Amino acid sequence: MALYIVEADCISCGDCEPVCPTMSITEGSIVFKIDKKTCTECEGDFDIPQCVKVCPIDNCILPLEA
Amino acid sequence: MNSQATLSRELALRIGLAARALPDTDAKRLLSVLTDCIGLPITEEKIVGINLKTLKTALAGEFLDVDEPLLTHALSILKSGLDTHPAAQTQQAYVDGDMSGSVRIACASNDGINVDGHFGSCSQFMVYQVSADEARLIDIRNPDIPKGLEVDDKNVFRAELIQDCQVLYIASVGGPAAAKIVKLGIHPMKLPGIESIADIIDQLQTVIAGTPPPWLAKVMGIDATNRFRFEREATG
Repeated sequence: MALYIVEADCISCGDCEPVCPTMSITEGSIVFKIDKKTCTECEGDFDIPQCVKVCPIDNCILPLEA
Repeated sequence: MNSQATLSRELALRIGLAARALPDTDAKRLLSVLTDCIGLPITEEKIVGINLKTLKTALAGEFLDVDEPLLTHALSILKSGLDTHPAAQTQQAYVDGDMSGSVRIACASNDGINVDGHFGSCSQFMVYQVSADEARLIDIRNPDIPKGLEVDDKNVFRAELIQDCQVLYIASVGGPAAAKIVKLGIHPMKLPGIESIADIIDQLQTVIAGTPPPWLAKVMGIDATNRFRFEREATG
């Protein structure tokens, strides 16, 4: 389980990067990206994913299918 | 010949206004800095050549302590009489489809020259259609609520006024208002300081001509498959 950032919607504000408890978010060459190997969707740390909580754009950070 | 005699009345007025935009500065202080920048006589043509850096370092750094946004603002006042950006002056007709690969922007302004307005209080929204090589002022919208019209939320009213724009430039905006703007599909851009609309358009045109970020390409209607793609970084 992991989240991903919708490239076409991300505005590269960077708000999500510091709130990630597993430091899975980094700035990619186009927009920010989430490392699916380390993203836990904040399980064990928070009730809801912190990046989704701070992201100013609706539906920009979504769960990866399967 | 007295150099002051060559200073046009218009230019003298602008120097006075620019001085007032700077802290603890009278026209005399600004004049001595300008003289150090470009020498006498001070002319319109020479003022165009002044940039932030020359203004800052002139006269042994007389304005070194002044905040950059204030200096930028003063510079734009100094240059404001110049028709360097014709699109900034005259309104032009625009029909949908006229300019391919363009984006419609609104600039919150009080003076009609700079993005110097707060979203909720600016006196006008200057609406431009901007493509990589063209910029047209297509509308100037007055955000005053018409007499007799009951409006639940002033900020929603203002945002709806520019709903056809994809990007909004403002000098400042409140958090809740920004959320309402985003909700209407407008991308708000709060500038770090006061900048001239002409500069904003130049910057935007550079971005459009280059590789626009995905969100901008999307609002410009560029098909995802036609967007320039960076080589994918290996994520696995």
